[in-house]
Amino acid sequence: MISSRNGKYLFCPRENIFHFLSLRGSTLPWQSSICSTILSEFFGLPRKYWVQYLLAKTDRIANIIIYNYWKFMQIKINHINKMEGHAGFMASVLKGDVKSAKLEIKEGIRLIEGILIGRHYKDVPIIVQRICGICPVVHNLTAIKALEKAMGVKISQETKDLRKLLEWGQIIHSHALHLFFLSLADLLDIDNDLKVVEKYPEETKMAIKIREFGMEIVKVIGGRVIHPLTNEVGGFKKVPTKDEIKKLIEQGNEALETAEKLGAFFAQFKFPDFERETEYVCLNSGDDYAIYEGDVASNKGLHIPVEKFENNFHELQKPNEVIKRVEVKNRNVYMVGAIARVNNNSKWLTPKAELYLESLNYSLPDYNPFHNVIYQMVEVIHSIEKSLITLGLLENMNLSGAITKDYKVKEGIGVAAVEAPRGTLYYHIDLDHNGYVKNANIITPTAQSLSHLEMDIALYLNDIMDLPEEKRTQKLRGFIRAYDPCISCAVH
Amino acid sequence: MENKNQNEDPKEEKVSIASEPIKAEAKPKIAIVALTSCEGCQFALLDLGEKFLELVEKVEMIDWGMIEDEEDPGVDLDIAIVEGTPITEENVETLKKLRKRSKLLVVLGNCAAMGGIPEIKNYHEGKNTIKHVYRYIQGIENTEIKEVDNFVKVDFVFPGCPITAEEFLKYFPDLLEGRIPDRTDQPVCVECKAKGNRCLLLDNKPCFGPMIQGGCDAVCPTSKMMCQGCRGLRPKGNVKAMRATLKKMMTDEEFENVTEIFGLRDDISERESKM
Repeated sequence: MISSRNGKYLFCPRENIFHFLSLRGSTLPWQSSICSTILSEFFGLPRKYWVQYLLAKTDRIANIIIYNYWKFMQIKINHINKMEGHAGFMASVLKGDVKSAKLEIKEGIRLIEGILIGRHYKDVPIIVQRICGICPVVHNLTAIKALEKAMGVKISQETKDLRKLLEWGQIIHSHALHLFFLSLADLLDIDNDLKVVEKYPEETKMAIKIREFGMEIVKVIGGRVIHPLTNEVGGFKKVPTKDEIKKLIEQGNEALETAEKLGAFFAQFKFPDFERETEYVCLNSGDDYAIYEGDVASNKGLHIPVEKFENNFHELQKPNEVIKRVEVKNRNVYMVGAIARVNNNSKWLTPKAELYLESLNYSLPDYNPFHNVIYQMVEVIHSIEKSLITLGLLENMNLSGAITKDYKVKEGIGVAAVEAPRGTLYYHIDLDHNGYVKNANIITPTAQSLSHLEMDIALYLNDIMDLPEEKRTQKLRGFIRAYDPCISCAVH
Repeated sequence: MENKNQNEDPKEEKVSIASEPIKAEAKPKIAIVALTSCEGCQFALLDLGEKFLELVEKVEMIDWGMIEDEEDPGVDLDIAIVEGTPITEENVETLKKLRKRSKLLVVLGNCAAMGGIPEIKNYHEGKNTIKHVYRYIQGIENTEIKEVDNFVKVDFVFPGCPITAEEFLKYFPDLLEGRIPDRTDQPVCVECKAKGNRCLLLDNKPCFGPMIQGGCDAVCPTSKMMCQGCRGLRPKGNVKAMRATLKKMMTDEEFENVTEIFGLRDDISERESKM
């Protein structure tokens, strides 16, 4: 059946009519139930037959006529692969102007915030980490931090160090996956990763090696890579042994060397030219490359404590949408993630990461969203170095201080934010005096950057409008993936 | 669902389901498809790194959204691997189409096998849960959560949240040859003991290990985390005895609450009603 896959001209003069007729996902008026019912009623033939026949005959000719007459075109991608979750893309173009560009979120709703209500707080970190299979660590961690704030639980320095290590491990393995397995193929204009693996066997091994170090950190400290087990309110159920930490250090030294080599490999790629000045938001602790704690700050003068997050950032749901977009009060859309962090906090990068950043010769502030990919590489080097420093400290320490001690369950409201691989992740949890959840709110990085992505892509579309259809689709997919969106997180 | 597989005559399980054995020279055709989920089970496979790439070389990967952009050609499959819960209409449609074109359909993980964390809502406010989350609920697909085997026949289950990747490597070669692997009925405790862990129950800490299907290398108790039963009841799992043991450590309400997390609660009531 000819439906408009990958951006075809559409037989419809006006956008609103088009939307009216294509309510249930069909892309042409012929396919709408009204049309096909009339056809089957009047001609007594099966609906399918007529729809297919008419489509086959008229689709191409009609669309070309319509395009030339009204200059209206719809660009559609049914499904964007190599990304977490389910989403497509749709844009409408009138007389060469992009009228709308939108990510169509097709993710099922799991209602995580809803099912948390009325549950015991101990279940919360276990449930929320299952929002995402790539970044369970940060969901688990942010929930635990919010619960600790709600009940006023104090944690030891060792606990904090181990948690930061978990986060670095998470950032390393998530970035390594996105850099190499989800994005590299786009830079090379290849549509299958297995072909990338064939073409660059050495680099594949490097990427796997780096990723394995990140995973090993999470495994050793968290007990498991996907959905870790040891971290809980107040501390850890179990801490790593000295031997395990020693082994991690050895592995980390190798990973750092490998990361520098892989960094050089990525530095040779030329990213498309595209720029739009924007606001970058991330955590800022004032003395470090903040990932675990700090205030929410931007390059345009925003600086608020995490507690004020919900006063300044608003979640909006549009009818028929399962994703809640986040907007800043009285401000424009904004961007989060590796590109935001490197732009805002580059002065706190570790020496090797700084050296690598300098070698790239990009001048900051950098407003090219494609560079998000290369800034992830910067963060991989930074995170490996940082974890090596912390591991070195922990090697000679008695870690039993990180084991959970008794605490009192109390009523309270807790809010917390950490830097997830894709940007600032925010949790708000409201507990009653028995420790049962009264209310919960989770704001994910992708919910924050989605509107930004759509605004960028509407601009970018103008640059690639004249490309052949297939090439244009490929470029669009590549652009969306450079943002590293996580739809499973955004719709949770 | 796993139990249904297990309850069948073990002799029958070994019989090849595929109508004709997969030819040696042609690589078996595989697709890995995610419904609504965290996609962690797919990452568990990817995390095997080079071991997984070796496995991929033995098959023809027809569709796997995680690593390729190519359009699914829609050809017949030897094995379809499904992850996640069918929540949207599109999910259900994908699942049914997949079943039609596949000789074997196997599912990955707790969501597909037992409903996973989305199923928690079934035990409480059901469809009304949505009111806590969205302002505009019209036009949003908000169904009761049902496991994959409510929609299509499932030939084999890799249980767990997430799956144990080593277990996948162990059983997958059998599936490639068109055979349904035979899983031994063994509680989590066997591997837990072999690892030299101190039993949590002995310390008066709750753990579901004795009634839950092993094969996870006792990953939770090894981290001093109680087994919450993400792999499902084992065929001979004694729920009554488990309840009696746990009486001293948790209230009935606490017990029910924990069994809800991984969709175990409905399986337990089913088992208890049969006793």
